[in-house]
Amino acid sequence: MSAVDYGREALDFIEGLGAYDRVPDAMDALAVTFGRYGFEHIIVTGLPNPDQRFSQMVLAKRWPAEWFSLYTEKSYDRVDPVIRKCRQSVNPFEWSEAPYDAELEPGAVEVMRRAADFRMSRGFVVPIHGLTGYEAGVSLGGVHLDLNARSKPALHLIAMYGFDHIRRLLAPSPHPSARLTPREREVIAWASQGKSAWEIGEILNITQRTAEEHLATAARKLGAVNRTHAVAIAIRQRIINP
Amino acid sequence: MIHVISAVNRHLYEDVLDQHFRVRHEIFVEERKWEALRRPDNREIDAYDNEDAIYLLALENRRVLGGSRLYPTTKPTMMSEVFPHLAAVRGCPVDAQIWEWSRFFVTRERRDGAFNLQLMAAAQEFCLDQGIERLCLVMETWWLPRFHDIGFVVTPLGLPALVENSWTMAATIEINQESLNVVRDKIGMKNLVHQDGPRLDCIAHANTCGRTAAQRKSA
Repeated sequence: MSAVDYGREALDFIEGLGAYDRVPDAMDALAVTFGRYGFEHIIVTGLPNPDQRFSQMVLAKRWPAEWFSLYTEKSYDRVDPVIRKCRQSVNPFEWSEAPYDAELEPGAVEVMRRAADFRMSRGFVVPIHGLTGYEAGVSLGGVHLDLNARSKPALHLIAMYGFDHIRRLLAPSPHPSARLTPREREVIAWASQGKSAWEIGEILNITQRTAEEHLATAARKLGAVNRTHAVAIAIRQRIINP
Repeated sequence: MIHVISAVNRHLYEDVLDQHFRVRHEIFVEERKWEALRRPDNREIDAYDNEDAIYLLALENRRVLGGSRLYPTTKPTMMSEVFPHLAAVRGCPVDAQIWEWSRFFVTRERRDGAFNLQLMAAAQEFCLDQGIERLCLVMETWWLPRFHDIGFVVTPLGLPALVENSWTMAATIEINQESLNVVRDKIGMKNLVHQDGPRLDCIAHANTCGRTAAQRKSA
């Protein structure tokens, strides 16, 4: 295929992704597309902090079950040189480009060797770095790969859009009604400054009762159990600035 | 506040614009090492800094803290002249309702995520008000998930390629109320854009540029 063919195929696929509204369907479609490049295994995952478990970070996967249990049981994510490079790099890379010291890092040697036992002797990773420091990646593995200067940019883009689509399906953006009106945001902002409903009413030149209603609606929209909880959620979601 | 500066009101901002060219030189040349942009007067000014450019500059007491530039695609753009290979699949847009978005920058002191978002929200807000339907841009590919995070709908025009050692791509961004709402929710602010001077009409201006270009062609 020429570079333009790779490009057209990738962009057509990306534009069609929106049609899959279930994660398994989207993963099927991705598996077929990545399969055309020779990839047999896919994982779409966040990268765990030291206090998080790898298995909780996985968004979707097409991995051999046995390999996944081995990987999680042995906590291979702690020693996997691919994960380490994924955190440090904004550019996609082949697994073989993830460096490790074979002398000093027996764990890294082991994970790379065992992966090959599951038909993942080679692979390609697309790192994802979100706005708030969120780290993730799409990792593809196989044996006989169409991995070259023309196919890599296509895989790069497909993986990024695939990641976004799956994350969206797993955590749909809040329903429009969940959005706070400017007034609701204002009362929550004043509540976060320790103002009572009466004081907020005075400040905004509305009745105490109206202020209370705004606070209650905002709390309901945010899924909060009370005013304090609503303030906490609003700060966490950056709806208001602390 | 993010100020809109264009040919119709630039006489109110000459000092600010000059300062902004120096800041751009500091960021794009000194910091990011785009050596091709280096100039002896330490002002980063390119072929698209002309009477058709519109700047969205974040000012604090007339100090430039960040900004970006809009340019009509009815004229030759940076994408169509310098990076057409990045848009090889879908082609470079030429449309009065599509404007090129370039030279996005934030000064070092303000590089927290929130400030970035304000500049992004300002672009949506300004374009929505003007009836611009899409922005097109050349961007580093690793920014794509960040745009996704704030609900921007980004459509690629071609595959990424290496530009000065960074994977770079051409894309369009949809302008719509939904995207503006999502980013506004994240920053908890509304109405970031401030315009002084006569009212701008981007689409009408872009159409005029287009006609001139067509006339030039037939001449």
